[in-house]
Amino acid sequence: MTMKAIEVRGLTKTYPGGIRAVDQVSFWVGEGEIFGFLGPNGAGKSTTILMLTTLATPTAGSATVMGYDVTTNTDAVRRSLGYVSQDLAVDDSLTGWENLYLQARFYGLTRDEMRRRIPEVLDMVGLTSRARDLVETYSGGMRKRLDIAAGLIHRPKVLFLDEPTLGLDIQTRREIWDYITRLREESGMTIFLTTHYMEEADRLCDRIAIIDRGSIKAVGTPSELKSTLGGDVIVLRFGGTDAGVAEALARIRALPGVRDVARYGDDYRVAVQDGESTLPQFFAATQDGAAPIVRVSINRVTLDDVYLSFTGRALRDEESSREDALQQRIRMRRVRG
Amino acid sequence: MRTRLAADVYSVFWREMKRFWLQKPRIVVSVIQPAIWLGLMGNLMGGLLDKPMAAAVLGTGNYLSFMTAGVMVMTTLFGGVFGGVSIIWDRRLGLLNKMLAAPIARAAIPVGKALAVAVQTSIQVALIALVARLLGVAFVTGPAGVLMAIGIAALFSVIMSSLSLILAARLKSHEALFAVVNFLTMPLMFTSNAMFPTQTMPGWLRSIAAYNPVSYAVRPMRQLVTGGWDWTVLGQDAAVVAAMAALMVILAVLQYRKMVA
Repeated sequence: MTMKAIEVRGLTKTYPGGIRAVDQVSFWVGEGEIFGFLGPNGAGKSTTILMLTTLATPTAGSATVMGYDVTTNTDAVRRSLGYVSQDLAVDDSLTGWENLYLQARFYGLTRDEMRRRIPEVLDMVGLTSRARDLVETYSGGMRKRLDIAAGLIHRPKVLFLDEPTLGLDIQTRREIWDYITRLREESGMTIFLTTHYMEEADRLCDRIAIIDRGSIKAVGTPSELKSTLGGDVIVLRFGGTDAGVAEALARIRALPGVRDVARYGDDYRVAVQDGESTLPQFFAATQDGAAPIVRVSINRVTLDDVYLSFTGRALRDEESSREDALQQRIRMRRVRG
Repeated sequence: MRTRLAADVYSVFWREMKRFWLQKPRIVVSVIQPAIWLGLMGNLMGGLLDKPMAAAVLGTGNYLSFMTAGVMVMTTLFGGVFGGVSIIWDRRLGLLNKMLAAPIARAAIPVGKALAVAVQTSIQVALIALVARLLGVAFVTGPAGVLMAIGIAALFSVIMSSLSLILAARLKSHEALFAVVNFLTMPLMFTSNAMFPTQTMPGWLRSIAAYNPVSYAVRPMRQLVTGGWDWTVLGQDAAVVAAMAALMVILAVLQYRKMVA
C-alpha cells in the first residue's frame, strides 16, 4: 500500500453565524494520485482546500498533508504543498520572472536553486520568451500558466489546483490538462484538484470525491462511480399532462434494472443496467398512460449523470457576499486577459 | 528563524518598492502637491507676518518655514494611512492567500509593507525639503537636520501605516477602509500644530493638539527647520514618536499572526 499524501478525518468547519461549510468530511489521497474534488459552488470544496493549505483552521477533525498535521505543523505542511488558487494570483505590476523570483524567495530557495528552477518552470509552461515582460501584458491563459509555474517553483510533493481551467477557452484548457498529466508522469507529484467540469475530472483524475452541502457523497474511480448508476442512460421526453408524466415516471421507477431518474430540462435521464433490453419495457409500461413517450435516446452513463444523481437536480440559488461577488468579477476579467 | 524573518520582510518590501517605481505619476504628484500647499499657504498667510506678534508666535519671520514641517508631516500622514490599501488588493487578487500558504513569517507581511511605506515617505520628504529650499526655506540645522527630519517622518509613517494595515486586515473592503481613514485624517491634521500655531487656538483645542500624535512629529521637525539643535525638544518628541511606532508595529504583527486568511 502506498503512503497517503493527504488524509482527512472528520474534518469540520463552522463559520461564525453557525454556517457549517464542511461537515465531518473524511477521505484520503494516495501518493502520486490525481484526485478530483467535485461539487457545486458552495458545497464546501473551497473551504476544504483552505483547511488543507493551512489558510483556515478546522473547527473539528484532523487532516494531514505528507504526514504533517495541518493545524500543529503548519510550516512543514506549507513546505510540502504548492497552492494554485482560482484567483490567478500573479502580480500584474511585476514581470513573469519577478513573480517567480518572489515566489522562490517565499519558499527560501537559494540563489543557485533559483537560477536553476526559474528557467525550468518557465520552460515547462512555455513562457520563457515572455519572462521579462510585465504580467499586465499577458493573456488570461498565460497568467494561469505563470501561476501554475509559481506553484511548482519549490518542487512541492502535493499540488493543490483550485478550478485550474475556470473561465479559460478550450485550447488553453487542453493545454493545462497536458501540463497536469505531464507533471504527474515526470515528477510523480500528487495532485489535488477541484473542478466542476465533469469532462475534466473524467479525463484527468484517478479517483474522485463528490461533495455537496458540506459532506462527501461518493468516492471512487470515475468508472466505479459510473457503474453505481449502471451502464446506460435512457433519455426520455413525454407528451401529455404533468400528472400523466408523474404517473409514467412512477411506473418506470418500478421496473427492474432502473437505478436513478434525473430531470434535465424537459428531458428525464433514467440510469439503467442495460439500455437495449430495458427500453422496450418502458414503452410497455407507459403505453396505456396519459403521457406517452415522444422522444427517446440511449447513451452511455457519463460522470455528469453520476454528479447529478449525487448532488440533486434543482438549480442552486447561491448565497454570496458582496466581497465574494466582487472578487469573482475581478477574477473573470483577469482570466479573459 | 531571525534570518528567515529578515529575508521574508525583504521579499515583501522588494515587491512593494517594485510597484512604487512603476507609479511614476504618483511620485510626481507627491512632489507637486506639497509644492502647491507651500506656495498657496505661503501667499495666503504672508500678510500675517506684517504683525510682529505673529512672527513671535510662529517662531520665525517666514510662514513658509513654519509650514514646511507641517506639509512634510501631512504628506507622511496621507501616505501612511493608505498603507493598508495594498493588503485589500492582495486579498482580492488572491496574492494574500498565496503569501499565507507559503512558509513565510506572518509578521513579514505588515513589517515589509510598513517598511516600504517608510522608505517611500522618506523619498517624498526629501523631495519636499528640496522644493522648500527652492522656495527659500533653509533648515537652520543644515543637511544633518534634513536627515533627522526624514527619520522622524519615516517613524511617523510607520505609526500610520501600521494602523492602516491593522484596519485593512479587519475591514476587508476599500470603501470601509477609506471611510475610516477619512474620518481619522482630517481631524488628526486640524487638531494638531501642523498648519497653525497652537498659541492661537482655544484652550480645549490646544490641549488636544498637545497630545495629538501628529504634533509629536511636527514639533521636532519644525524645531529642525526654524529653531536649531535643541535636544530637550528633539529628544523627547522623537522618543515619543519612536515608541508609538514600535507599539503600532507590535500590534500589527499580533494582528497578522492571528490572521490565517
